[in-house]
Amino acid sequence: MSAITRQRRRAALAGIWREFTADRGGLAGLAVLVVVVVLALLAPVITDAAELDVIHAPGLPLRPPSGRFPLGTDVDGRSVLLLTLWGARISLLVGVSATVLSVVIGTIAGIAAAHFGGWVSGILLRFTDFFLVLPSLVLAIALSSVLPQGVATIILAIGVTSWPTTARLVRAQTLTIESRPYIERAKALGGGHLHIVGKHVLPGVLPLVLANTTLVVGNSIIAEATLSFLGLGDPSVVSWGSMLQRALTSGAVTGGAWWYLVPPGAAIVVIVLCFTLVGRALETVLDPRLRGTR
Amino acid sequence: MTALLELKNLGVTYRTRDGEVEAVKGVNLSLAPGDTLGIAGESGSGKSTVAMSVLRLLPKSARVTGEIMLDGEDVTAMRWGRLRAVRWAGASVVFQGAMHALNPVRRVGTQIAEPIRLHAPEPLPESAVKARVAALLEQVDLPPARAGAYPHELSGGQKQRVMIAMALACRPRLIIADEPTTALDVIVQAQILDLLGRLVAEHGLGLIMISHDLSVLAATCARIAVMYQGEVVEHGGSGQLMTAPRHDHTRALAAAFPTVGDPASRFAPATSTPLPPEPPEAARRERADVLLAARDLRVVFRDRTGGRIDAVAGVDLQVRRDEIVALVGQSGSGKTTLARTLLALRKPTSGTVTYAGAPVPASGAGLKRFRRQVQLVPQDPASALNPRHTVYEAVAEGPRIHRLPGDEREIVVAALEAAELRPAEAFLGRLPHELSGGQRQRVVIAGALALRPGVLVADEPVASLDASVRGEILGLLLRLRRELGLAALVITHDLGLAWTIADRVAVMHRGRLVEVGTVAQTLLEPRHDYTKSLLAALPGGVAARAQIQF
Amino acid sequence: MREALAVAEEIDPDERRGGTGAVRFLLGKLGGALASLFLVVVLGFLLFRMIPGDPVATMTREKPFDPVQLAQLRERLGVDKPMYRQFLDYVGGLLHGDLGTSYAYNRPVADLIAERFWPTVLLVGTATALAVVLGLWLGVRAAWRRGSMFDKAHTGVAVTLWSVPQFWLGLLLLIATRGLFPSGGMRSPDTPPEFLPQVLDVAHHLVLPCVTLLSVVYAQYLLVMRSSLLGEMNAEYLTTARAKGLRDDLVRRRHAVPNALLPTITLIFLQFGLVVSGTVTVESVFSWPGLGYLTYQALRVPDLPLLQGIFVVLAGSVIVLNLIAELLYRVLDPRVRAR
Repeated sequence: MSAITRQRRRAALAGIWREFTADRGGLAGLAVLVVVVVLALLAPVITDAAELDVIHAPGLPLRPPSGRFPLGTDVDGRSVLLLTLWGARISLLVGVSATVLSVVIGTIAGIAAAHFGGWVSGILLRFTDFFLVLPSLVLAIALSSVLPQGVATIILAIGVTSWPTTARLVRAQTLTIESRPYIERAKALGGGHLHIVGKHVLPGVLPLVLANTTLVVGNSIIAEATLSFLGLGDPSVVSWGSMLQRALTSGAVTGGAWWYLVPPGAAIVVIVLCFTLVGRALETVLDPRLRGTR
Repeated sequence: MTALLELKNLGVTYRTRDGEVEAVKGVNLSLAPGDTLGIAGESGSGKSTVAMSVLRLLPKSARVTGEIMLDGEDVTAMRWGRLRAVRWAGASVVFQGAMHALNPVRRVGTQIAEPIRLHAPEPLPESAVKARVAALLEQVDLPPARAGAYPHELSGGQKQRVMIAMALACRPRLIIADEPTTALDVIVQAQILDLLGRLVAEHGLGLIMISHDLSVLAATCARIAVMYQGEVVEHGGSGQLMTAPRHDHTRALAAAFPTVGDPASRFAPATSTPLPPEPPEAARRERADVLLAARDLRVVFRDRTGGRIDAVAGVDLQVRRDEIVALVGQSGSGKTTLARTLLALRKPTSGTVTYAGAPVPASGAGLKRFRRQVQLVPQDPASALNPRHTVYEAVAEGPRIHRLPGDEREIVVAALEAAELRPAEAFLGRLPHELSGGQRQRVVIAGALALRPGVLVADEPVASLDASVRGEILGLLLRLRRELGLAALVITHDLGLAWTIADRVAVMHRGRLVEVGTVAQTLLEPRHDYTKSLLAALPGGVAARAQIQF
Repeated sequence: MREALAVAEEIDPDERRGGTGAVRFLLGKLGGALASLFLVVVLGFLLFRMIPGDPVATMTREKPFDPVQLAQLRERLGVDKPMYRQFLDYVGGLLHGDLGTSYAYNRPVADLIAERFWPTVLLVGTATALAVVLGLWLGVRAAWRRGSMFDKAHTGVAVTLWSVPQFWLGLLLLIATRGLFPSGGMRSPDTPPEFLPQVLDVAHHLVLPCVTLLSVVYAQYLLVMRSSLLGEMNAEYLTTARAKGLRDDLVRRRHAVPNALLPTITLIFLQFGLVVSGTVTVESVFSWPGLGYLTYQALRVPDLPLLQGIFVVLAGSVIVLNLIAELLYRVLDPRVRAR
């Protein structure tokens, strides 16, 4: 029987891919994302990391775009183009890691809140709703300011403060699934908690979690940029947020050095937009009810 | 006299993702003023499409051909302004009020007043509108004070009355009633049909009623047109259609709603292959050991404001081996709660449930063992199967949970064959949405049979199925009883179903069993008033006593 | 037959209107809000006293201090006492309106917050009001003309704006409108002291930060309203309305939009935290003298007592606003009143 099941799964995936590619925005987003991720991964290979060194910077400070430096130089004389490329690595790393953390916590909390009735559910519900209402950035700022500065802190701060949205989504979806008669049938057949959650709830919830994850990555990247901008990031690594922070604090902005300001921000917009487009396309494909609402 | 409504060669085609679908082809019907016409058919027959096309209420993806002459004017050629004027004032629609046809955040009085204000030739004073709304509510036997209620504060029957009042608001000449009683209880249904009939006669209105239930139409309409796959296959007087149907499909529809008391339908559901005759009852009674039993069972809920609801108020019930017990009740009677408690899916507040004499354990391995013995067949097979699991996985779920010994594939195939899905191999890899309603229900039953239970608890097993398929599933239940000795507790609101396949009947009302006995005793000689009123409310009526010999 | 039917008359579902229901609801929600506020207080203590371990070390980590000064600092901030004692002092102080003393400014935190509170309210209030009006209005129009150029353009703009970091947008606007608007602060020192010039001056300073804060927020509201209305448009009661002879735009205005508005309003209130978070960054970019900018300044030190006070006030305000939202929703949606 597993041969038939495997064939089914492959056919289902192919179907999903076909529907996904019909959404031009999602397809374009995915294409750009792939390109960016490949470039970011290959950065140490295609460029020279030595040029990131502040002390041995190759160019003169704050020069507008020219042949040698297509995006100009920063306040220390480094190539803005190079910085933007290397910044992608940190921003993507933080974005993805924080998202994984957030989604795992959120999914577990959401399923537990919906599946186990009684006081367990009540407590988890209050907990989730409480954190949902709190401004997550304020919370992340608070955490980042008291923990030692570094990339790990940022990842933790973002991951631990953005799980409620996923939890709420997962909880709503789990409640919908569990209200369906086939869950009652599974119970009548003798299935226990593990069987119901493992065989019915999780497979039903995972597609939406996946779609939601892509959207959360976008949020995490912006959150990372914001935290770095506020001075809470790791000062020794190059990220888009830290570039923008330096742009402001070094007076580059008031000096009119737009080439230092635009690329990192534009890069954020492009990446987050791509994740958003992919996420929205996935959501529409995986949840047919949404088809009428896009 | 010109016909009030005339459909000439009506055709409707929908544009869908998978191409064009012809929902209605070549329909010719006419209705004189004061005439009543019923349109019968299963889901997908096109009956609702025909009804909605009269006022051009179809979605934009529908293309209409032919002519719809309403009072001499062709609706398909009307301009928007004229159409909007004709809507409600010329002809109005009674939708399924019990569902979502009423705006949930507006008071019903406002909603009834809306068309009055809209179609008034000059602005009416508030008092006149209020008076008219009050008069309309009185006509449908609702107190005028109910105008201030919101839809969720009304019961299903009351909502339907509001819909009728709303339909009469602008004094139309034609009323189209689309499944007006489908979601309602037998008794409420009878009240609504009675009301509708009375109002139509009083005001001399034309009535078109759509339903899948032939007996409902026969009780209210003088003529019936039967639709099948978009076409009218039979058309004639309702009495004649019910007693002597000519087309096969009409026969199937008529057979789906057997008349209580008619010996021809006793133990003879409408199946494609007729069942062998029933062995004499005496032989079976010898092997009557009690399997599932409830003793003084009580289930109490607390509602949102803290009030106490006795859903099950002291019930004693037994299901013996080799018998089918029908638990009959309307919604709110507690029958669903009772079923869930018998299956140990919910804890009783007091009282015991026993199986084969031993009390059912509350948890653990004992409970699991009990589950193998008593299985559930839920109401709607479409949602009772996980849409992502194949038929094989659905049927194998039970054996896997209990780790039954033996080859899994063999168990699954055997169960599917016992549920009459042959050849079983063809079905193993299919998904639920690729199956018909009847096939899905068989898969659910196969899933239950795979555990070799002693009792099946079937919760409205055929309510969601098309009329022509109901007989097949009921036949399956009977066959399982005969060949495997499988007992069944069938929960239903349909007395006709009880008459067809049950040995004993228990009538439930507000948490109590008001009458329990054999089918002949309870349905032909009811003692309790509630049972009598249920039988009186049946649209088909009970076959004349004189014909029955017992 | 009607007599026989009357035997089993249908009964109205129980009605427990108004009265006891409303009071129970109010008390329930108030209790919940109070519990949440208490949790906020505990969280504030947890974050700023317990997690850092030694808050004094965190605050002084980059500056040279000798041990005597450190010990004095510890005593002044009360960190030398046992943890439970600190917590009790903290809660006790809160109940009196004492939020501690700022380390960097050497003034009561409560005073600092009070000074910066109203500028933030002005900024957030103006931006939210404009964002709600703009977002909802455009969202309804876009949904009704789904697929048109109008719809595609506005949805595209909204999705893009959603992806823009607010502080970056602010910086861009600063550069782009060079000289047109003041680059920071809330007031120019050389304005005449009369009422009207003062108001205009503040308004002039308000434009850029308000537009920045507004841009990302209105996009979110537009998308939510649009999808809510699109979801509502398939409802059956709309067919009933059309059947009655109502014009399309009346069907939309009278029936679809009010119903679609309800869940949108809840979502808007639920995401108020988003707006508050945005304030922190926007105020920092424009040096708008509000709580956000105060946070930015406090972070540079880091001034833990001040941060703790700001956190409690910001989080607490959001909880209070959420409570108002829930009460408001009950008034608006009659289905909730039955519960």
